Amino acid sequence: MTGRTGKYVAFLRISFAQARHARGELYGRVVFFVVILGVFSSLWTAVAEAGMPLAVEPRAMVWYLAITEWIVLSAPPMHFDIQEAVRRGDIVCQLGRPVSWVGAAFAEGLGLLIARAPLLFATACACAAVFTGWVPPLRVLLVIAPLGMAACALVMALWIGIGLLAFWLGDVGPVSWVWQKLMFVFGGLLMPVELYPALVRRIAPFTPFPSVLSRPASLVLHENAGEAAALVLSLAGWGTITAVTLAFLFRRAAAALTVNGG
Amino acid sequence: MQPLNRRLKGDGPIGHLRFAAALFATNLKASLAQRAAFAMQVLFMIVNNLVFFIFWWALMNRVDTIRGWRIGDIQVLFGIVAASVGLGGAVTGGVRHLGRLIDDGELDTLLTQPRPVLPYALGLRMQPSGLGDLLSGVGFIVWSGQVSWREWPTVALAVSGSAIVYVACGVVFFSAAFWLGPIESVARQLWDLLITFSLYPEPLFGGLLRFALFTLLPAAFVGYVPADLVRDPTLGRAAALVSGSAVYLALAIAIFHSGLRRYSSGSRFGTFG
Repeated sequence: MTGRTGKYVAFLRISFAQARHARGELYGRVVFFVVILGVFSSLWTAVAEAGMPLAVEPRAMVWYLAITEWIVLSAPPMHFDIQEAVRRGDIVCQLGRPVSWVGAAFAEGLGLLIARAPLLFATACACAAVFTGWVPPLRVLLVIAPLGMAACALVMALWIGIGLLAFWLGDVGPVSWVWQKLMFVFGGLLMPVELYPALVRRIAPFTPFPSVLSRPASLVLHENAGEAAALVLSLAGWGTITAVTLAFLFRRAAAALTVNGG
Repeated sequence: MQPLNRRLKGDGPIGHLRFAAALFATNLKASLAQRAAFAMQVLFMIVNNLVFFIFWWALMNRVDTIRGWRIGDIQVLFGIVAASVGLGGAVTGGVRHLGRLIDDGELDTLLTQPRPVLPYALGLRMQPSGLGDLLSGVGFIVWSGQVSWREWPTVALAVSGSAIVYVACGVVFFSAAFWLGPIESVARQLWDLLITFSLYPEPLFGGLLRFALFTLLPAAFVGYVPADLVRDPTLGRAAALVSGSAVYLALAIAIFHSGLRRYSSGSRFGTFG
């Protein structure tokens, strides 16, 4: 391992260790996950009773929701940490480190993600299996797990981008609420994008949200090797766009901080 | 000008209400000092609620009813919960920080003041976004087309009752810090769970879960019971909401004061005003 990457691995390992010790939050997320999946399971059972024409069975919908919720709940909301660092002025000390500040933030987030995501994935599968009495083929879950992890990492990178806005806005809470809800709608968190009105369906492909939520989760609904390969390319594309945007935002933010004197 | 404490005489309920009103007015002035940030929080919260409702709107475009609930009923439910969460955040925005105040020993400054600690701690902060929630909540209720102007006193009662239960639950969850220490994130997740449950129609849930929603995590008193009162006002429903909110408020006060007896000082020095 080179010294260059070793620094980031050290950030990752520290945040992983911290996340493993903060068990209360992790268990809280597990409980939240179980309950929310129970709610959605009841909702889609009721929707099916109401006669809504669904292209898939309600049990597959519950698995779809389990995967989208897993991705959303696993991705650490890094924007709050960045906002706090900017508000307290800690950012000034952090900028002096011989590492990329954005790279370090991403590595810390990955540490949190690696600590949370496996347990939440197991919870997602266990809950969906209990609520539906059905388990998709193992090979499908084995494809979804790494793609879902990549999607979680991209969601986290997008949160870092929202966090960087704290350099200008101070409080990124309002922006993050709207961003989150746009992700829910255009990403198809609560139901597949195909069930939304035409306007939402037309806009969604121009956002990164379907690639991080509905497309990985849709692999449960329609097993398709071609779609999995296309998703890999899509995640790589959006990952590149996000990385370039983060680099640009951070350069502007650092310049603004220097001009304003921190 | 007389000091705040001298002007607000009386320690009874009226005195507490006056004190709460004075805290709210002070917080509002402080928030309005940064007008752009204030307006942004209010506006973005309204947009946030509207975007979230797209899900229900899209879903109910495909089915007429879900276990007897129409889109108008869901708008009333959504409006009541948004308005009560907004009212709670605007008037008692300190609840969200109660766990940290307890765990960091920051109640010291409030304990030395000649005012009751709990109302002071709750009124220390204001969330401007709460006003966005309140406005959008009222907007959803109007949009539902189920409420005439004559029924607005009932809506006010429903929102107030719901907000009391919501805030009381926050006090109970965050007061756990007296016994368990740093529980802020878990308490916050529990509180979010309460809102999540409150936003879904009651007939979706049955059995044990339904029992829990009326007792342990009283989402029923934050969402369904007040929404039922607005949709179909009866004295029985009003009595159920008033008695339910009184019980949860009394429970929250008792738990907070029980915890306060265990509170150990943070030995902090600081300015307060």
